[in-house]
Amino acid sequence: MIEVRDLSVRYGPALVLDGVSFSVAEGESFALVGESGSGKSTILKALAGQVADWSGRMALSGQDVGRQSRRDLAALMQMVFQDPYGSLHPRRTVDDALAEPLAIHGIGDRDARVLAMLDAVGLARRFRFRLPHQLSGGQRQRVAIARALMLSPRVLLLDEPTSALDVSVQAEILNLLKRLRAEKGLTFLLVTHDLTVVSFLCDRLGVLRAGRLEEISDVALLRAGRLQSAYGRELVARSHGGRPTEAPARP
Amino acid sequence: MTLLSVRDLRVSFPRPTGGRVEVVRGITFDLGRERLGIVGESGSGKSMTGRALMGLIAPPGRVAAARMDFDGTDLTGLTPAGWRALRGARMSMVLQDPKFSLNPVMRVGDQIGEALAFHARLSARNRRARVLETLAAVRIDDPERVYRLYPHEISGGMGQRVMIAMMVILEPALLIADEPTSALDVSVREQVLEIMDDLVRRRGMGLMLISHDLNMVARWCDRILVMFDGRVVEEIAAGRLHDATHPYTRGLIASLPRMDETRAELPVLDRAALARGA
Amino acid sequence: MTARDWLLDEDPATRAQARAGQAYRLATALAGNALAMVGLAIILALLVVAAFAPWLAPYSPVQGDLGARLLPPSAAHWMGTDELGRDILSRVIHGARITLFIVLLVAVIAAPLGLIIGAVSGYFGGWTDRILMGVTDIFLSMPRLILALAFVAALGPGIENAVIAIAITAWPVYARIARAETLTFRNADFVAAIRMQGAGHARVIGLHIVPLCLSSTIVRVTLDMAGIILTAAGLGFLGLGAQPPLPEWGAMISKGRAFILDQWWVATMPGFAIVIVSLGFCLFGDGLRDVLDPRQRARG
Repeated sequence: MIEVRDLSVRYGPALVLDGVSFSVAEGESFALVGESGSGKSTILKALAGQVADWSGRMALSGQDVGRQSRRDLAALMQMVFQDPYGSLHPRRTVDDALAEPLAIHGIGDRDARVLAMLDAVGLARRFRFRLPHQLSGGQRQRVAIARALMLSPRVLLLDEPTSALDVSVQAEILNLLKRLRAEKGLTFLLVTHDLTVVSFLCDRLGVLRAGRLEEISDVALLRAGRLQSAYGRELVARSHGGRPTEAPARP
Repeated sequence: MTLLSVRDLRVSFPRPTGGRVEVVRGITFDLGRERLGIVGESGSGKSMTGRALMGLIAPPGRVAAARMDFDGTDLTGLTPAGWRALRGARMSMVLQDPKFSLNPVMRVGDQIGEALAFHARLSARNRRARVLETLAAVRIDDPERVYRLYPHEISGGMGQRVMIAMMVILEPALLIADEPTSALDVSVREQVLEIMDDLVRRRGMGLMLISHDLNMVARWCDRILVMFDGRVVEEIAAGRLHDATHPYTRGLIASLPRMDETRAELPVLDRAALARGA
Repeated sequence: MTARDWLLDEDPATRAQARAGQAYRLATALAGNALAMVGLAIILALLVVAAFAPWLAPYSPVQGDLGARLLPPSAAHWMGTDELGRDILSRVIHGARITLFIVLLVAVIAAPLGLIIGAVSGYFGGWTDRILMGVTDIFLSMPRLILALAFVAALGPGIENAVIAIAITAWPVYARIARAETLTFRNADFVAAIRMQGAGHARVIGLHIVPLCLSSTIVRVTLDMAGIILTAAGLGFLGLGAQPPLPEWGAMISKGRAFILDQWWVATMPGFAIVIVSLGFCLFGDGLRDVLDPRQRARG
């Protein structure tokens, strides 16, 4: 579904991505993990067409990304952003946000579609005409997910979709994403620094370090703590908390 | 010995429609020379508790407490001048994002030294020596060079270490850290916490670590207060977190995905039931 | 359910109710500001006076009674008469129409022009930005009245040309404001999101960027109204705006200048009118800013 070959990105003189290659099968959930500055978000931006200076090959569903029109691309792939406060227009209601993609693509029957999507993402219908500032962080992220799904895309790019949320809200959103993926047969490309999220939501993961892919592994290996690269194991160790001052007593 | 003693602390703000809304609804705790963690989600009142203890709730916000004693000082009736003498010298606070807490047009070293100029009478040379010493204490390898840098020239992790240096240079008795690492990269979080922990232990300070991250707090504190809806719902020793009894604490722990995750669905908090029980 | 409950409903059932509710919240917030209400009252009074000028004015604004020249304010002539025996009150009342005409026309021409130039400039950045802002800066660097004078001199005196000249000098400020606003959110995720949905640049600018710049521009326009009235009056004063016998306030002051020591009311009465109307727009604009500007509202 997603095919990336030798992707390199430069920001001025700095090489942010250095020959990254990976592919994601239809219906698969693939994670890109790494620290900030590793270039993991840049891959999403390149796929989304927000990066000007790149080389290599990126294809979606067998077609080169650069050759597809914006509209075709929009119907194929959408994105959910990290910050639920910045990704919604502050003066437009939930209804405006959800109806807009339909208006752009000339799709009718908007009321019914908006209501159906609100139900699908578990947002009560009474929130339909609220403005973003009248919603909680979790509710906004549901709106962002709903907006991304309005055009029934086959690929969803997820840029740290839960890292700005509270722990208990994160669980709700992760459950929602997992359910939607199963229901709609979506392909996920998830960027995160949180390996436990990967363990819950993904099938395979790629470990990025300083613009290069260190390894691509099955999530089963992550769960078993047996990633191949030393750096991958270091990330795992770190998210377990590194060197605790006192070993926490286990029940 | 008890460093800080708080009884029935309440913080309230006016509602736009009239009346007042309480964000901290009567919390009580004691803090010795130990590491106390305060955990809760956004809106739980944990940050407001920290700010109230530092006297940083500005009107129209209102702080009330039956008792609020810090190291022999009654905080409830303190004047603004009294707060200023206290803050920085005897208690200080590390905030979330060093980017917003450092003055962008002032050299790092001078900023750290400012507190010294205000609270302690030292010659310029002695002041500089103290700053360099403190920078070294937060494990900055080349204090001479960092002293001369401006805030935009240093990384987030380095910035937070500079903030910590600034906060401990007067050797306060209590350090309040409000989400000290959530703006930092995962790779430097542990390091910053370790430095802070080391300083606190070595100098015998009290630490109050405010965070939403249950695991982090459990790792770096001795005791944990779990806050929900403006109240402390559970107080527990850090090592015994897995024996927590309150449904909110248990719900929080359960809703975290694990590294070896096999559950098809994560359990979700039933907020309505919690609000009824609380 | 009362109308108020319907308007303040947190969960409106229809689009219309949501919009009405937002408007109502804005109006209540504005109504709580006493000074803004004073400003609004002055503006409304101006509108009423302009609309009903022929019925409100006791005398003709152009026909004078040469036997009643330069009379001081009295029961018959509340503001006195001028050198041609015309009732000053009637002239001030009719002058309200001209003032309103100038102010509205300038706002309708200058504000959208500046808004679009600023939004386009900020959104695209790069060379577009440099060229558009270069032009804007050239206009900004010249004193407003002098520039307007130059345009009127080229176009010929008259009220329409004065309007055009003032509009040409007024837009750069709005372009600057709109550009500054645009820069703060051109890289925001919501713009990226709407682009990813296949929206073209025109749609993003027109439906997403411009509405966000709108409130600060509206505030600025209301605050600028006073300046526009004064510029128009200045042009009138110099004899380049409204031509006699039109009762434009600036031109009236200009005429009254000759008698300012002996017959002070001739110049002073239209002066009062200018001051009061300018003040009205200023107070209202200030109030609008308090209500519309989210940065001000976020405090407290």
